[in-house]
Amino acid sequence: MSTLHAQKATNTLPHEPEKATLEGRNKILGFWLFLAGEAVLFGTLFATFLTLRNQVADGPSASELFSLPITAVATLILLVSSLTSVFSIQAMHRGNVKSLLTWLTVTVLLGFGFLCLEIYEFYEYVTHYGYGMTTSAFSSSFYTLVGFHGAHVIFGICWISIIIGQVAKKGLTVVTAPKVYVSAMYWHFVDVVWVFVFTVVYLLGKVVG
Amino acid sequence: MTDHHNDGSVVRHRHRHEGPRKHVIAFIFSIVLTAIAFATVAAGGVNTAFTVILLLVMAVLQVLVQLGYWMHLKDKGHMIPIVFMAGGFFVAGLCIIAALYWMWW
Repeated sequence: MSTLHAQKATNTLPHEPEKATLEGRNKILGFWLFLAGEAVLFGTLFATFLTLRNQVADGPSASELFSLPITAVATLILLVSSLTSVFSIQAMHRGNVKSLLTWLTVTVLLGFGFLCLEIYEFYEYVTHYGYGMTTSAFSSSFYTLVGFHGAHVIFGICWISIIIGQVAKKGLTVVTAPKVYVSAMYWHFVDVVWVFVFTVVYLLGKVVG
Repeated sequence: MTDHHNDGSVVRHRHRHEGPRKHVIAFIFSIVLTAIAFATVAAGGVNTAFTVILLLVMAVLQVLVQLGYWMHLKDKGHMIPIVFMAGGFFVAGLCIIAALYWMWW
């Protein structure tokens, strides 16, 4: 390990530092397997939601509840954060630590913005519509699915923040680079899940109500 | 991976790393797909079955762009990750179909 940390000067790094060691490559491969498992996890939550989406009991239905502008802004924020995450990896490939840290910070801030919107949205539902977790089968499956995605955003924010600290402290090495890369993969996956959430939950909710 | 060029930053810049251009195009493409989806729903009045199909097509296209370009699945040497992800999405789809079938038919 000490020889790896001695490689701190970024201009001695290989051009794809995240794949320079077997450990790094295995980390990325293992993470793909994790993401495949996550896809199944969200698949089950989507299955539950789609099965129960019309069981609104006496509560409001999807088309009464959802607001397209808020969802559109949240979608835009998360999409831009995915792009800034790409920029951070490109900065890493150029060996530019300062730019890498800047883009990671922007990504975290955008993720935080998305989270604030979602909390505001849930708060509105609970206070204005009295639409809680136990209102109906629809509300339970809605909060579970969208909340699970929100929990992933929270986790991503914490994770990337820690990585920012680690890269700032230890520099960009063949040890820290795979961590940055894997966290970016995670962040893209969170965005991929959101594409299905806004389509299936919000837009289809408005259309088929 | 054998070709590391550890001897200086000048060499590194000549590598196959693409600039931001391709990713910005993928981003604009995603924005356009999202805008089409939202605009169709916001406008309303369009045939429901058509809207549902359009929305799903927009979502799948956008996910393919993001998996392919931003997560590099279209790059060389990603066969195993593609198999992993295809397997994951297949089981996810199976769960959805099974749950719907079980409850509603």
